[in-house]
Amino acid sequence: MSQRDLVAELRAVQLTAPAEVRERVRLIAATAELSTTRRFLRRRSLLLVVPVAAALAGAVVLTRSSGHEQRTGLAAQSPPSPAYRAATATPAPATGSVPKALAPAPSPTRVQRYGATIGLRVASPGAVSSAVKQALRITSSLGGHPSSVHASAAGKAGTADLVLRIPRRNVQEAVTRLSQLGTITSEQVDIQDLQAGLDATGRRIARLQRDLATLRSEPQSTERDRAIAALTAEVQRLQRAEAATLRGAQYATVRLHVATAPPPAPTHNGHGPLHGIGVGAYWVGVGSVYALAFGLPLLVLGALAALAIRAVRRRRVDALLSRP
Amino acid sequence: MTFAQAAERHLDDVYGYLAWFTSDRAVAEDLTGETFERALRLWHRFDPTRGSVRTWLCQVARTVALDHFRSERRRTRREQLAAPSERFEARFAEGLSPDLESALRRLTAGEREVLALRIVLDLDAGTASRVLGISETNCTTRLNRALKKLEEALDVAA
Repeated sequence: MSQRDLVAELRAVQLTAPAEVRERVRLIAATAELSTTRRFLRRRSLLLVVPVAAALAGAVVLTRSSGHEQRTGLAAQSPPSPAYRAATATPAPATGSVPKALAPAPSPTRVQRYGATIGLRVASPGAVSSAVKQALRITSSLGGHPSSVHASAAGKAGTADLVLRIPRRNVQEAVTRLSQLGTITSEQVDIQDLQAGLDATGRRIARLQRDLATLRSEPQSTERDRAIAALTAEVQRLQRAEAATLRGAQYATVRLHVATAPPPAPTHNGHGPLHGIGVGAYWVGVGSVYALAFGLPLLVLGALAALAIRAVRRRRVDALLSRP
Repeated sequence: MTFAQAAERHLDDVYGYLAWFTSDRAVAEDLTGETFERALRLWHRFDPTRGSVRTWLCQVARTVALDHFRSERRRTRREQLAAPSERFEARFAEGLSPDLESALRRLTAGEREVLALRIVLDLDAGTASRVLGISETNCTTRLNRALKKLEEALDVAA
């Protein structure tokens, strides 16, 4: 028999599945239809459930947000409690009047040495110059005078230090108006009571004068003249000191420091805007080298293992199928 | 195409392939049912762009048959069965001459498989080699060897 006849005979053989096998396969296919229908129904139910769930979630979110708005509205309508006001009070702007607690009024009845130090920040060197001029104008308008003025500007930075002598009765107003020349960065008020010292000096002068009167009533002698001269000199010294203290206490010393904002600290150490990209590329390169160094051998080993497993499996299958 | 349509259309092909492959019609009947059960589970993975349904079903059937062969070998080893089973006594297929049927029984399972795919199911070399997981050349070589073996067996019988 030739190969052609052989092939023809083999092709002539028609193998048909028995009826029971056909029935079994039909049952399996029917199960498939059923599961497909169930899947379809599940999908359809999902189509219904998902929008409903989304609508419910949306409703919950809307309800909660509207409730929040209602509460906010109620809070806005009802007067807030003092504690609430204290907790939510916004701080007063830095520029503006100085709180009176920090610039107390000088005592009208007692002699005091009044000193204040104010630090201000302004935007530019030009603003420093302008603030200096206004400070001098305020000082003169209140009957005072500058004791020293120092101003300097370099580039975008400027600074000025003023020592102003202002009549004690006007110092509170002066501090208030000077504080408005810029943003307050520091503030200090020093008040020293001089009344007790002056009273003591007055009592000593009175005692010395009584001693002086007693000495003058005694008989004249060299010793008495010398003592009178000494006491007279002491009384005059104390009176000069007392007068100097009173003169000094008439004026308050206000030290004003005006400066521009310090330049922002450099955020980078001399690198360009593309430095980050360069650093990123560097690390990507490093990672790639490591990946190649370690990953490539692993990849090759994996491929070899896969090939070996495949060859072994094929050999096993061949061995399995090599029997009749 | 639905699974039911595919099963209806290619049931005989799968059954024929398994009958030739196992050379046992009773086993082929069982394996056919098992093949379609497995195919149903894997139906979502079937990609029509990668091959026809018939090819895919043959691949599933081959996997089922190989599992059967493995379990049979384990069982045979365990039970120390040396004698050939009764299936050799059954008719291989209707319409075959006794000499050809005898010659077919002398072929290995692998040779019968390639005959089933290339001649009975009339698959082209590329498709058959894809089912077998071998190259086209290897497939053709295996087919020629099987035919030659058959021819020699028939000549001897004549």
